[in-house]
Amino acid sequence: MAALPDSNRSPTLEEGLRFLGTDRVELKWVEDLAGGRSMIDSAPDSAVLVTEALPLRANLSVLENMAIVPQYRHDTPYEAAADQAWQLLSRLEVTAMAFKRDPDLTSEERFQAKFLRAIMAAPPIIVIDRPGQLLPDTHYPPFLGRCLATLENHFEQCWIVDYLWNEPLYAPR
Amino acid sequence: MERAPVRAPLIKNLEFKVGLLMVLTGIIALAFLIYVLHARGAFEDSQALVLTADNADGVSIGMPVTFSGFPIGQVRRMTLTDEGQVRLTVDVPEKNLRWLRSTSVFTLEKPLVGGAKIRAYTANLQDPALVPDAEIPLHTGDTSQEIPVIVAKVRAILENVQAMTQSGSSIDQTLTHVSTITGRMSGPYGLMEGVLGDGEKARKLVDTIDHANTVLKSVNGISLRVDGMLGKTEQRLFAEGGAMDEVQQSLAQINVLLREAQGSLKKADAILGNAEAISADVKGATTDIGTLRAEVDDSLNKVNHLINDINRIWPFKGEGELTLP
Amino acid sequence: MIQFQAINETLTRRGAATLSWLRGWGSLIWFAYSALVHALSPATYNSATRSVIQKQIYFTAWQILPGYTLFAALLSFVIIQIVVSTARDFGLSDFALETVIRVLVLEILPLVTALFVALRSSAAINTEVALMNVHNEIKALEDLGVDAMQLEFIPRVIGGTLSVLALSTVSGLMALILAYVVVYGAHPWNFPAYTLVVSKIFDLGILLGLGFKVVLFGMAVTVIPISEGLRAPSKLFFVPIAVLRGMVRLFFVLMLIEVASLALKYI
Repeated sequence: MAALPDSNRSPTLEEGLRFLGTDRVELKWVEDLAGGRSMIDSAPDSAVLVTEALPLRANLSVLENMAIVPQYRHDTPYEAAADQAWQLLSRLEVTAMAFKRDPDLTSEERFQAKFLRAIMAAPPIIVIDRPGQLLPDTHYPPFLGRCLATLENHFEQCWIVDYLWNEPLYAPR
Repeated sequence: MERAPVRAPLIKNLEFKVGLLMVLTGIIALAFLIYVLHARGAFEDSQALVLTADNADGVSIGMPVTFSGFPIGQVRRMTLTDEGQVRLTVDVPEKNLRWLRSTSVFTLEKPLVGGAKIRAYTANLQDPALVPDAEIPLHTGDTSQEIPVIVAKVRAILENVQAMTQSGSSIDQTLTHVSTITGRMSGPYGLMEGVLGDGEKARKLVDTIDHANTVLKSVNGISLRVDGMLGKTEQRLFAEGGAMDEVQQSLAQINVLLREAQGSLKKADAILGNAEAISADVKGATTDIGTLRAEVDDSLNKVNHLINDINRIWPFKGEGELTLP
Repeated sequence: MIQFQAINETLTRRGAATLSWLRGWGSLIWFAYSALVHALSPATYNSATRSVIQKQIYFTAWQILPGYTLFAALLSFVIIQIVVSTARDFGLSDFALETVIRVLVLEILPLVTALFVALRSSAAINTEVALMNVHNEIKALEDLGVDAMQLEFIPRVIGGTLSVLALSTVSGLMALILAYVVVYGAHPWNFPAYTLVVSKIFDLGILLGLGFKVVLFGMAVTVIPISEGLRAPSKLFFVPIAVLRGMVRLFFVLMLIEVASLALKYI
């Protein structure tokens, strides 16, 4: 059930927002930090977290951070793993940050890098923990929706764990 | 599919460089290992020979065995047999075996300064070849052990000489008689008494004294030779790498010479006894008695000189001073 | 009563400090053991870990190779000159070459290599591991199904050990060549005499001991900083303390290995 009829075309912000809340991208509302914790814990162990608390590897570029996952898990040669990562970066049109390291990234780029790294691990569920913390300077629901919609063929399922009081931000305007 | 533009952005030719370094390290390590194996003769056929000794003080595994100063083999193993004998297994590479013959002699030398050395001597390189796994005695020559033996032997001679010159000995008596004769000669008729002897007997006396002189000269010669040899021994001892075999040979020679000297001195003693009888018989000879005394004195001085020299070379308490009574 | 309390507190503090010190050694030994086990298991070697090993060797050995080789050559040359001329003065020239090779190739060069790598790479590794720990990067990797131990730490130990081996080998070769040239001159015809001395020094035990010692040095310069970096509490201000402790412990262990090797060889 693709949200977009043409997967080569970049989705608009509205299309992105519509993509959130489908059964591919579940919004999990929590009331406090403890609730958030228990929500994250309720995800299966194989889920991968995208959170402020789990940074990129500091001495590797974004591309290497992504490539290291299949390199390590499937003994993929660096070239093949880098190609795989490059493909995802170009899908999001962010190849410019491929060789940047963590401190040189904007918070948006950092989020994208972490999300793409999670995709490289190909988990059944990717859990985005409190996107407001990851994207403090962005009206994040449309941005999130657009990213997820663009990459919809590359992940199984995504949870967005956010505070209940941020719910209005997700309304289309 | 789009491909990543740069392979390894950070380091150029990383794999090549690291590979090069690792291969280089491996090659150096392997080459060195092979070199050491080669140095230790792993690639050479070698023959083992067994040296047996009573005492292997100072011998260590890996110690070289030298021939004419060149290393021709190494000690590989040291074992102590049930009989308390030391067995040294020496590996000699095939190419060095030609220096060792069945008549070769092996010595273990322990110089006063420096490490012990095992040396091989081959007198005749045309002798039959060494039997594989042959057991050969290792002569352990210890200079500091040998020298007291020589000195003890030398001292025996000196005691002999002393015995000859003690009061009551033949020489002493001879000289007493000589002095009696000269005393008589100093009298108005003394000279006449001296002169009026049997001419034949007087000649005999002169001959005998000459003979005694010759013997003493030869003793002196021996003493000089002993002196020279002790000097040499000393030189060898304190020189680096003193040649033990030569010392040993010298010691043997000294032994022979000293035994000879002992014999000569006994002979001299007998002759002097004879001379005493003659002089007592003659009661006065025409020959210059003063010269005789001077010559005997001279000879004793020379013997004294020998003793002094031996004392100088080897610091033993000298009790062998010879004096004419 | 107050005095008693003070004594009690002091003893408790001492005891806690001793326990933590012992725990430090315990975790160090455990880490060294698991590094060894992992290094020998083929499952450790994948595309990612190989690249970490390569980078570690590149930074630890390749980058400093020219400079270090030059330094080792200079040091060797000076020591060889001193020993050879002194030995000549005392009439002990026979022993000069043996002494020089024993001193340089078996003792000084491996130790200096280890100290050099310790000052340069171990300090860096210690800091990096402590920062990784503080920044939660280890957990981040684990969440992705990547074992940080296998990806980051074991390869560093392998790379560091290989680096120390490589640097010791190259500097040792340099010293062997220099010793020949200084003692015999740059002519090939004294090679048999040199070979004899080499054969006298290096037997199987010495070679194995040297290899073992260098491997121990290599493991020490990586295992200790990593273990100390991991042990530090996840607070940024503990990073300098972690580095300090790691370096002190490393120096102590390097000296201990050297002393033990000397004692085994000559006592």
